Amino acid sequence: MRKGKRVLRFILLTVYLIFALFPLIWILLTSIKSPMEVYAFPVKYIPSHLTFQNYQRLFNYAHFGRYFKNSLLVAGISSSVSTILASVAGYALARFKNKWILPTVLFLFFAQMIPAYLIMIPQYVMFSKFNLIDKLSGVILVYSGIGSAFSTIMARGFIARIPVELEEAAMIDGCTRLCSLFKITFPLVLPGLSAVFSFSFVNSWNEIFVASLFLNSDNKMTVPVALYSFISKAGVNWGFLSAGLVVALLPTIVIFAFAQRYIVEGLTRGAMKY
Amino acid sequence: MERCRSEIKPRHPARFFLYAILPVLVMVSFLVVYPTIRGVIMSFQNYNLYNLHDVHFVGFKNYRTVYTDSRFYEDLWNTVLWIAGSVSLQFVLGFILALLMWEPFKGRGIYAGLVFYPWALSGFAIGLVWSWLMNGTFGVINDVLMRMHVIEYPIHFLSDPKWAMLSVILVNVWYGIPFFAIMILAALQSVPKSVVEAAMIDGAGPMRRLFGIVIPYIRPTILSTLLLRVIWVMNFPDIIYGTTRGGPAGATETLSVYMVNVVFYENDYSKAATVGVTILAILIVYTLIYIKTTSYEELEL
Repeated sequence: MRKGKRVLRFILLTVYLIFALFPLIWILLTSIKSPMEVYAFPVKYIPSHLTFQNYQRLFNYAHFGRYFKNSLLVAGISSSVSTILASVAGYALARFKNKWILPTVLFLFFAQMIPAYLIMIPQYVMFSKFNLIDKLSGVILVYSGIGSAFSTIMARGFIARIPVELEEAAMIDGCTRLCSLFKITFPLVLPGLSAVFSFSFVNSWNEIFVASLFLNSDNKMTVPVALYSFISKAGVNWGFLSAGLVVALLPTIVIFAFAQRYIVEGLTRGAMKY
Repeated sequence: MERCRSEIKPRHPARFFLYAILPVLVMVSFLVVYPTIRGVIMSFQNYNLYNLHDVHFVGFKNYRTVYTDSRFYEDLWNTVLWIAGSVSLQFVLGFILALLMWEPFKGRGIYAGLVFYPWALSGFAIGLVWSWLMNGTFGVINDVLMRMHVIEYPIHFLSDPKWAMLSVILVNVWYGIPFFAIMILAALQSVPKSVVEAAMIDGAGPMRRLFGIVIPYIRPTILSTLLLRVIWVMNFPDIIYGTTRGGPAGATETLSVYMVNVVFYENDYSKAATVGVTILAILIVYTLIYIKTTSYEELEL
């Protein structure tokens, strides 16, 4: 009975593993097949020879390197900004006790519920007045603002979990508040803050609607906008698009691999993220 | 420690507090709250791409346009289907996955990494990935089903109105299982093993233990996760945008996809704002109910 149960569990977990990984493996396989084999039916599962022509086309003709750099810049800067602002605000909200805490947290809670796509039109109208349309800086600003509400709630959760006694002990030993902040609290909360950063990086990297609306010229496009432009043009080249998808998905998979433990902790204990 | 001494102590705690939270409050007010209010105002105007210089108030005209169009009600129904189908299946399968992973086994950490990764992926890109898998002419899913003699002819999963909604829901289920599994697995860790074992000794079968002990114990997590997930799935046009963009013939157009389509294909910003305000109203009512049914404690964390 006990053994039978374990075998059943093993089988079910294996089935789910295949289910979870198959789409990614399949898109990887498609990206290194020759066009003949991409469009074969019945499907040819093992490519007879590997080709990297899709990747070559992606970077040589389609400027995917530039889109990748744009995305890296946008996601990197916006998540750095929102993480820094959020850790300062999160610290104050976790360590101070006054009547402004609850209203502020509630305000941030409601603000982070408003999804980006819902307010992109008024943002577009506002930003066109400031001449921030079709500029990476405009999108960076939007992502920083959208991300900072949730990041603050999450950072606060992580900081609140670090006992204040540790800081007080350091202060008794002759450390100032700022000193204890940097020497005691900051190192302890670093894993939490890396989760905050990963969250907003992933969200910014994946965002498509604001980016599509704001960024029009070819040299400003981010990765999702570029992928969208590949399918908008008549006839999808699936081998080529698959190569683009592999490159688009890779960064967040790498981030997840490194920060998984903290992300899971942030998801489950760092308050309300979906 | 010596080096630290020269640094300043906040002599005015209130001012320190204010300076610390001000940047975030300004950012959020300027980039989230103000645009939201502005969006509400726009829904009463005639703002569109062809009419940028004669913007004025038109009363409830946009609301009449949206609410008298059967498209709105079809999309509302699609939204209900999309939410109910996605969330229930994500939950049940995520729960099963969490139960399977509850008892530690060798390599559980690596296994978690390998099956939880979809959480970090772009919904839009995942939509594209699955539209290749579900392709009606060259798709691998049709190939597998035909080789197994389940079907005789390929199914046009995403271009056949009969199949499209079910297909996009299944993609969303694949995408959302990890989220539920992560949340429920974490909650399961808090269930005391001794209670479960005591019930086992008392002769309670696995189903009794699950429904009598485990589920009641993690009920708060289940409830808040489900309620929050509904909002998130409602505001998640990404997967549908990567697969069908609301087609065929509106079969998969949810309210959020409707709004995005109005922005990108009709360029009627006021109409889009009207749909947006409608979504926002639903969101607010829902959130208030959520807060009523749970408690402030969760916000406090």
